[in-house]
Amino acid sequence: METIAIPAINLAPIMPEIILSCIAMLLLLVNVFVPSESKGYLGVLSLVGLVATAASVVSGWGQPVAAFGGAVQLDNFAVFFKLIFICSAALAILISDKYVVREEINHGELYPLILFATVGMMLMACGMDLMVIFLGLEVLSISLYVLAGFNRGSLKSNEAGLKYFLLGAFSTGFLLYGMALTYGATGSTKIGNIAGFVATNPQVATNSLFVVGMLLIAVGFSFKTAAAPFHMWTPDVYEGAPTPITAFMSAGPKAAAFAAFIRVMIVAFPTLKHDWTDLLWILAVLTMTVGNIIALSQDNIKRMLAYSSIAHAGYALVGFTACNPEGVAGILFYMLSYTFMNIGAFAVIVLIGKKGEANGNVQDFAGLGQKRPLLAAILCVFLFSLAGIPPTAGFVGKFYLFSAAIKSGYIWLAIIGVLNSAASVYYYLRVMVYMYFKPSEEDFDWVGMTPAIAVCLLLCVATTLVLGVVPGTVLELAQKAVQF
Amino acid sequence: MISHHLLTLLVFLPSLGALLILAVRKSDALARLVALGFAVAELVLSGYFFTLDTVHTLYPAPAGFFQYENVHWIDFFGIRYTLGMDGISLLMVALTAFITVIGVGVSWQGIKERVPLHFALLLLMESGILGVFLALDLFLFYLFWEVMLIPMFFLIGIWGHGRRIYSAVKFFLYTFLGSLLMLVAIITIFLMHGAQSGTYSFALVDLIGTKVPYDVGLWLFAAFLLAFAIKFPLFPLHTWLPDAHTDAPTAGSVILASLLLKTGAYGLVRFGYPLFPDAARAFTPLIYAAAVFGISYGAWIAFAQKDMKRLVAYSSVSHMGFVALGIAAWSPIALSGAILQMVNHGVTTGALFALVGMLDERTHSREIDTYGGVWGKVPALSFFFLLFCMASAGLPGLNNFVGEFLVLIGTFKVAPLPAGFAFLGMVLTLVYTVRLVQEILFGKERKPLVMHDLSLREGGILAVLAVGAVYLGVSPSPLLELVKGPVALLVGVK
Amino acid sequence: MESIFFLIVAAVAVLSSILVVTCKNPINSALSLVMTFFCLATLYVTLDAPFMAVTQVMVYAGAIMVLIVFVIMLLNIRVEAVKRGSHAVFAGGAIGLFLLFQTVWFLGRGTLSGATGTMDRAQVVKVGHIELIGKALFTDFLLPFEITSILLLAAIVGAVILAKRKI
Repeated sequence: METIAIPAINLAPIMPEIILSCIAMLLLLVNVFVPSESKGYLGVLSLVGLVATAASVVSGWGQPVAAFGGAVQLDNFAVFFKLIFICSAALAILISDKYVVREEINHGELYPLILFATVGMMLMACGMDLMVIFLGLEVLSISLYVLAGFNRGSLKSNEAGLKYFLLGAFSTGFLLYGMALTYGATGSTKIGNIAGFVATNPQVATNSLFVVGMLLIAVGFSFKTAAAPFHMWTPDVYEGAPTPITAFMSAGPKAAAFAAFIRVMIVAFPTLKHDWTDLLWILAVLTMTVGNIIALSQDNIKRMLAYSSIAHAGYALVGFTACNPEGVAGILFYMLSYTFMNIGAFAVIVLIGKKGEANGNVQDFAGLGQKRPLLAAILCVFLFSLAGIPPTAGFVGKFYLFSAAIKSGYIWLAIIGVLNSAASVYYYLRVMVYMYFKPSEEDFDWVGMTPAIAVCLLLCVATTLVLGVVPGTVLELAQKAVQF
Repeated sequence: MISHHLLTLLVFLPSLGALLILAVRKSDALARLVALGFAVAELVLSGYFFTLDTVHTLYPAPAGFFQYENVHWIDFFGIRYTLGMDGISLLMVALTAFITVIGVGVSWQGIKERVPLHFALLLLMESGILGVFLALDLFLFYLFWEVMLIPMFFLIGIWGHGRRIYSAVKFFLYTFLGSLLMLVAIITIFLMHGAQSGTYSFALVDLIGTKVPYDVGLWLFAAFLLAFAIKFPLFPLHTWLPDAHTDAPTAGSVILASLLLKTGAYGLVRFGYPLFPDAARAFTPLIYAAAVFGISYGAWIAFAQKDMKRLVAYSSVSHMGFVALGIAAWSPIALSGAILQMVNHGVTTGALFALVGMLDERTHSREIDTYGGVWGKVPALSFFFLLFCMASAGLPGLNNFVGEFLVLIGTFKVAPLPAGFAFLGMVLTLVYTVRLVQEILFGKERKPLVMHDLSLREGGILAVLAVGAVYLGVSPSPLLELVKGPVALLVGVK
Repeated sequence: MESIFFLIVAAVAVLSSILVVTCKNPINSALSLVMTFFCLATLYVTLDAPFMAVTQVMVYAGAIMVLIVFVIMLLNIRVEAVKRGSHAVFAGGAIGLFLLFQTVWFLGRGTLSGATGTMDRAQVVKVGHIELIGKALFTDFLLPFEITSILLLAAIVGAVILAKRKI
């Protein structure tokens, strides 16, 4: 009987995942002994875990290390994305403490699930093996299905969980099928090996298995990035899921899907570049336009932000279509900005909301500008940033993405992009119209700031403005992160 | 140290004031005082620049600029923080500081709700506009160009009347849409310049040298023109203007008409023409047509208005037509006239909006039908009304006459036909102005009106404006001297 | 001979999976699903993957299906009352046909060839199927194998959260 020689194992590149998984499991254990009124401490513990993970992630900057026979690779690209995921998880945890108490879903399992989702995202960002990427995606998705349906007493939340599960499973099918065909055509699941095979056998570009595999993988990731026409699940899920989870889903997992999408496409399918950039061109235009046009008519603010997040995925796809280093760096920068500005906006929604997801309509914001001037001003910053108006992070991000598109010669794509951002201004302005121009009917006396949300808002506002006014350093980091 | 960053101080002093106002927002009276203090300080500061005529700067300045700041900002994109002042900028800056003081003055009592926010927004607005007039880096210019919209959006939406929300949103979307296409053009020329020279820069002085293929240049200029023409506003892109002007509060209307419209014209002079001289030449007939048509159309529609504010708003379309005409002619005389006319129009229209605001405060009506025989009741107010109407109509000896006259002369040499049509438009101006004066001041009293004459504050505001109008009309030569150098440089570029 | 066998088994698999979605009685649906699993297991055998075939039968046809049937009986789900035959079925069918056509057309356009790896029939017979899978799991796919444990843990936590009466 032959013995199996286990290859040398270098745990350093997956240290962040290990730390975070351990923290999550620890939380599960501790949870049993924590009485329900002090579950908030679990949130604190998970924040500590996230900070430790971030420290371990940062140490990987500048020295790409591969491990497990090239199944994972911790490079700058992965580090940058992992930091985005950690930020989104931390911010989501910060805004959940008030929300879970109000909605009476103060279960300790919330935090481990968010951390597991983060582990999944991090695996997607550093995965160099289709199997690792797929399993990372599954860890992420399973956690998110549960998180979306976390509010068991609410029909909408149940619907969100189920819908997300069904459509998520469907999209996973596409993705897996695509990976299987690609494996069949190239004989490996490691994208490094696939790239090597493609380089030595250029005729594989005419192999239908390979082409269909690429298409199916693209479709699968498009589902996850909520690109039109694969966006149908987004509005219902975002509206029904608990608000902090919606904030989390719109930022982290979207970025994770982009991370894996970009790496797989650029590394494994370089010979089909013309095909998939054409495809992405169409996806980008559809995504921006559909997201913005439908968002125009939304009254529910969570739903509106859901459609707007579709549109924002479209802007990121513009950079992806450009497919130059600037475009990819633009996506990195944009996803970072989007995490802060979008979760910041959701934090305000959490504050304004009442039990049972009430007060989620744009009309409920009437008079906020008079009654709560500071909160309204903060929301304005986020909305202006989402709309891409200087001097905010959103503007610099869009500026970078559209410059990349123009540089690659996609001038029409850039024009369609700016026209879309003009349209998007309308629905962001609409919130401000209600906040400032309509008389208030309520006193907003239930709006109580908690330290956690205050920290979250402060972080988000500061980042949105700093990245808008002096983005130089982060832009350089994003540029250095474009290496696969 | 500070003397090297005077321009920065100039731009951000009002913002500082705005922050201070928000800090003292508990007291309305204090907020007003702080606003006035900062507006006046800004006016004094801008006046100080008139005394600096030699190059006075740390940084090597391009020709014509006597104040210049150029520091690193976002090196990643080759974006620098570049502010510069030449004669044209100085005039615009002085106008801005002056009109902001007037704006603070006219809203002293008219604004009763959320007073601190109102004054803070006025000052923020001033910062944004000054930034537009001083920025010499296209990215920085674009940033101020957008930022300037935000306070105006809130001014119209919160304190406006009538369909204020509709007007505010329309104003914002209209101008935002235009400027976004300009952004695409800015990025395009930035990349072209970078590809040609190897260094990426957004500085105007660098980008001017870019070799732009003719057909590409047409598109790029068209994008710039669209953004500027909307602000201008050139016919047929003016439709946001009557709504925004009519529904804005008095200070909003004053600033909108006197300052915001000028940013469009200024942008065309500073950026549009110098960056794409060939394309601009190709577009000149179109601009002539839009200008001439705007002059007559604005006057014609103004004649048909029942609402005084709307009337003045349409008269702006007409007057700004002259500015467009002067720019399109691009000869030294016409361009100087156009720049002078920008200042003149700022003073006159600002005064007219202030007057309409004062009448509105007294009778709560802007309908021309309401009034009649005002002359007998409030002689002082009527005197100023008559004065500014006459100025607006281009009475010799008052300010508008000089600007329009120079524009017509300058244009006539280059393009007689548009100049001739524009002259006909001037006659129409006279028609609606005379109608306005006749019906309001001298017509039969239609309804019993209870009015009191000017208060000291109102009298002071109008007197200052009147002095400005008369001074500009009688001795415009110092101002013309100021813009002569820069204009020669600009026109020489073509 | 082998291809005829494949066609027959594949046809049965397709037919029974159609029955899964068309049967009105949930028990019949479940049984059709079992049938599909058996056909798939047969296909694995013809591909020299006996271990996969056994797992397929044991895990899917055995454990999971028993669970499903059990749940159906327990909940006493009746014959489905939803009205059928509306446009939804028609539209779905049309889209399905279109996709089928598209796939066939696409596949017919280019070449169809897989990359040949090191595993062939001789290798499987020599080393043994289970050994090969085991080796792959503990060498090449060690990390994915470990990630699966996290995945299952997350899934269990999720199942408890969503299903437990009182947390």
